[in-house]
Amino acid sequence: MFRLDREHWRELSPLLDQALDLDAAARNALLADLERRRPELALVLARLLSGHDQLLGSGFLETSLRLDDAPTLAGHTVGPYTLEAPLGMGGMGTVWRARRSDGRFEGAVAVKLLNLALLGEHGDERFQREGTLLARLTHDHIARLLDAGVTSTGQPYLVLELVDGTRIDRFADDQRLDPTGRLELFLQVLDAVAHAHANLVIHRDLKPSNILVGAKGQVKLLDFGIARLLEENVPAQATLTGPAAHALTPEYAAPEQARGEPVTTATDVYALGVLLHLLLTGRHPTGEGCRTPADQLRALLERDAVRASDAVAASPAEEAAERAARRGSTPDRLRRLYGGDVDNLLAKALDKYPGRRYPSVTAFTEDVRRFLNHEPLSVRGQAWSYRAAKFVRRHRWPVAAGVIAFAMLAAGLVIVNRQRQIAESRFRQLRHLSQQVFELDARIDDLPGSATARQELVAMSLEYLEGLARDARGNLEVLQEVSDGYWRVARIQGVPVALSLGNLAKAEESLKKADELVHTILAVRPRDRRALARSAAVAGDRMMVASSERRDTDALAHAQRAVGRMEALLNEAPLSRSERDDAFAVYGNAANLCVNLHRYDEAIRYARRQVELAKLEPPAPRAESYGLSVIANALRSQGELDRALETIREARKALDRDTTLSNDTRRMVSRYPLLLREAYILGKDRGISLDRPDEAAVLLREAFEMHEAGVRRDPNDMTSRERVGTTGLELGDILRWRDPHGALAVYDIALARLAENRNSVKARRDRALLLARSSYALRRLERRAEARGRIDDALAILKETQDYPADRVSLESPIYSVLQARADQHVDEGKLAEAVQQYKDLLERVMVGRPDVEHDLRDAYGLSLLYQDFARVHRAAGTPDEADALDARRLALWRQWNQTRPNNPFVRRQLAALDAGTTSTR
Amino acid sequence: MEETKPPGDPQQIAAMVERAEAGDSAARDALFASLYNELHNLAESHIRRSSGQLTMGATTLLHEAYLDLNSRSHVAFPDRLRFLKYASRAMRGLVIDYVRTKRAQKRGGEITFIPISEENVSTVAAPSSIEALGPVLDELGQLDPALAELVDLKFFCGFSFGEIATMRGVSERTVQRDWAKARVLLHDALQNGPLSGSGL
Repeated sequence: MFRLDREHWRELSPLLDQALDLDAAARNALLADLERRRPELALVLARLLSGHDQLLGSGFLETSLRLDDAPTLAGHTVGPYTLEAPLGMGGMGTVWRARRSDGRFEGAVAVKLLNLALLGEHGDERFQREGTLLARLTHDHIARLLDAGVTSTGQPYLVLELVDGTRIDRFADDQRLDPTGRLELFLQVLDAVAHAHANLVIHRDLKPSNILVGAKGQVKLLDFGIARLLEENVPAQATLTGPAAHALTPEYAAPEQARGEPVTTATDVYALGVLLHLLLTGRHPTGEGCRTPADQLRALLERDAVRASDAVAASPAEEAAERAARRGSTPDRLRRLYGGDVDNLLAKALDKYPGRRYPSVTAFTEDVRRFLNHEPLSVRGQAWSYRAAKFVRRHRWPVAAGVIAFAMLAAGLVIVNRQRQIAESRFRQLRHLSQQVFELDARIDDLPGSATARQELVAMSLEYLEGLARDARGNLEVLQEVSDGYWRVARIQGVPVALSLGNLAKAEESLKKADELVHTILAVRPRDRRALARSAAVAGDRMMVASSERRDTDALAHAQRAVGRMEALLNEAPLSRSERDDAFAVYGNAANLCVNLHRYDEAIRYARRQVELAKLEPPAPRAESYGLSVIANALRSQGELDRALETIREARKALDRDTTLSNDTRRMVSRYPLLLREAYILGKDRGISLDRPDEAAVLLREAFEMHEAGVRRDPNDMTSRERVGTTGLELGDILRWRDPHGALAVYDIALARLAENRNSVKARRDRALLLARSSYALRRLERRAEARGRIDDALAILKETQDYPADRVSLESPIYSVLQARADQHVDEGKLAEAVQQYKDLLERVMVGRPDVEHDLRDAYGLSLLYQDFARVHRAAGTPDEADALDARRLALWRQWNQTRPNNPFVRRQLAALDAGTTSTR
Repeated sequence: MEETKPPGDPQQIAAMVERAEAGDSAARDALFASLYNELHNLAESHIRRSSGQLTMGATTLLHEAYLDLNSRSHVAFPDRLRFLKYASRAMRGLVIDYVRTKRAQKRGGEITFIPISEENVSTVAAPSSIEALGPVLDELGQLDPALAELVDLKFFCGFSFGEIATMRGVSERTVQRDWAKARVLLHDALQNGPLSGSGL
């Protein structure tokens, strides 16, 4: 379309970035230079730049689209007005350009259709009464309220003077007004507000979008007193949770509004202070960096306003300079200009105590005029050190509750008025809280550097839950909700099943509380379905936490408890669909944990349960496939390779039955883990396998090439990169003994793909493994120096990841492979004494880790390979007696296995290999 | 490297996301389709509730869809960012379809769009044809997926630069610059017509 392909665009994009920042002359120079090097790109760039210039001020894509049916209202009549075209949309309703239908008034007007939800009960009557009062407010700088009414269909509307203008802050920026120009503009605003106050009308919602400036610099204030029209006749403290809270704009609200205290003229003074601060500095006095209403409210209550003289220089410097330039100045000059009088004047207007602010807008106006005339102000040396935080400290709890309540409102919730049945409302609040706390956290999560706020929110949620738990007094429904609340908070804190704060200890604490509460319920109602299901889920989460913390015993205990609860639930009645999904998670995770803990029989039991459940109607082929693949894995680990192969192929068949996976590519992607497992069973190099490496290589190559193609297709495809790494390692390991050229090519692609991936510890360890394993292929190709270099690189990587040096080395760890590769390199270089020493050392470190060679086949086979390799080195070094001793230990090991597990085909194969004196792996 | 997660995880959306991110275009399509349905159903039920009018903005709609999905824990999204990444694309489709339907209903009548972020500003012209934007955006998605996503978030979903910057962990300035680039590319394509990447 752009006559560009991705390659070209990659080249062109930074050039366009650069050019957009340049003036015309510099652009031409850039184009001329590009013309010489890449004429075809220069052509496109020139066209794009001229397109960009055309676009300036065109409004192309400037306004966001809305899914809005409002245009269908065009032509409708509202009272005596006919709606013509929509003008805008705000928190309170939609605004339309309209004309009188009866021809009495020629000019166009603005009709504001208020959201019905904002009008309280008995609102109609008062709405019209107050509207009439407001209509009397006439001032050059106030948009007139011409009419107010409610249509026959109950739609409240306001008819306002139609104002054509720009938001005040944008106007000042567009005109690049200097501080004096901005103060003069502000004086017009003060004049209008003072007039309204003299008529006993408070604005309550002063903010830049309510203040427009016409082409001639004439200021017009909109929506005077409208917030008041919408207020229900309710006690002051209900404001936060009452309908009027919808109309509150937290960015411009005064602290007393946030606290739900009565609104006075001082409230408008505060909003004027915010506006002036914004006009002069381009930044918000308290809310800078706050993106959520909850944060803004917290900042409003707890944070002192930033001094204007500090705000102008706030980093980043580039932006500060830009803001100053829009004011025809530099950050330094503005800082000097605002330091002193402007700071003091703003401090007086922005005091958190209404009683300490300017007593009237007139007094505020007076000081602004004095500043403009370079006269001394009425305020001097306002104590900036005064900490409103004292107030917050004294009223910590109500403030915290307020923040929560507000945050919940912001999340689109309705909180029941406290005046009504308190118990019921609290119960609902709690339900909302526990359901919404995820979402709240997600909002905060988006903010950089807000970890503290996020943690505080969680802390407050917990405090809240504690209070409600105390109030519950044995009400089981409430206890269940509280338990759910803790469970949800825990998932935010750090259950490793989703994105979280990553604090496992805190998550465990909350889970424990959830567990105790649900336990209380089960003690009274042992067969309560919901409690049983939740108890299983909580225990399942505790298992995940414990397993992440490597508390194996605890993890196992939780897994067994989760399974127990699930069994109890299964005994009650057939599971619902969602309960069955919960059961899949519990059994699947428990089975996986047991495989990792080498408790294969238990793993198979749980996985079989999952398979059984998955076969019930409606069938869940993917859960079945998962269960089967865990079973296959457990069987392979026990040397039951034929059964493992049969089971993994069944798992593949189950997956093919999944009708949601119709597409071939998709099936391939989901089949990947199964392919990999099947390859392991068939012929994992130096692993428990059927020793059919050729067949394994076919599967691995298929997976390797598929994912490599995926990476080439989509450069952002990180999963495919990782899979190229994994399959490349396994494939290379098989190939290295017979086709070192081919193996090296595969290893190198895998290395390159992993290097492109994000630098996770896992990716680094995988790269170390690949480097070490590829040294075998390099040595076979007589490229010894390169082989040595790669081993050194691998060790360096493992040093960074703190895997090396290590006192204890486990048989399947990357460091084991790397250290063995180093020893084998020495053998190859003829440094046999060193090699023997290194093997001895490696064996010792392995034994420190106490591999479970008596019960665990993987450990046994790993150690057997180590004995075998070490024996080979001894023979090469001319110490055959030592080699024989190692062979004897190996024989003893397998004989013992043959006694405890007679007829295990894998064990028998090891014994046969020993008898024949051959090696089974190379 | 031995252990990898086998399939069969009941969390369907998470799995779909994973497959989509593994480059599986069919999974991506399925994901868009299900998000489209989710958004569509929500919008329709809202219209029914509020006597034939859709008064909620795109951001609210997305927000509700997210809450709704996450309350059904087994279709939960791995995270909010990824939800927005896919849902914003679905929202584009929804908006364009609504425009198309409305245009059909009004038999060619002029459609006006109103700004979501500002209050009481003068009427703003919409692109001559929102529908024409669809295919052009698809092509932009081929060329530079991040830019197309930015248009979805900003233009179709009504997110502010600040919000998008936070979402993406970049500075607001970067977002604005990308926005300028996206605009200029789309404008160019609309002016000069799609030329199917046949070289320069």
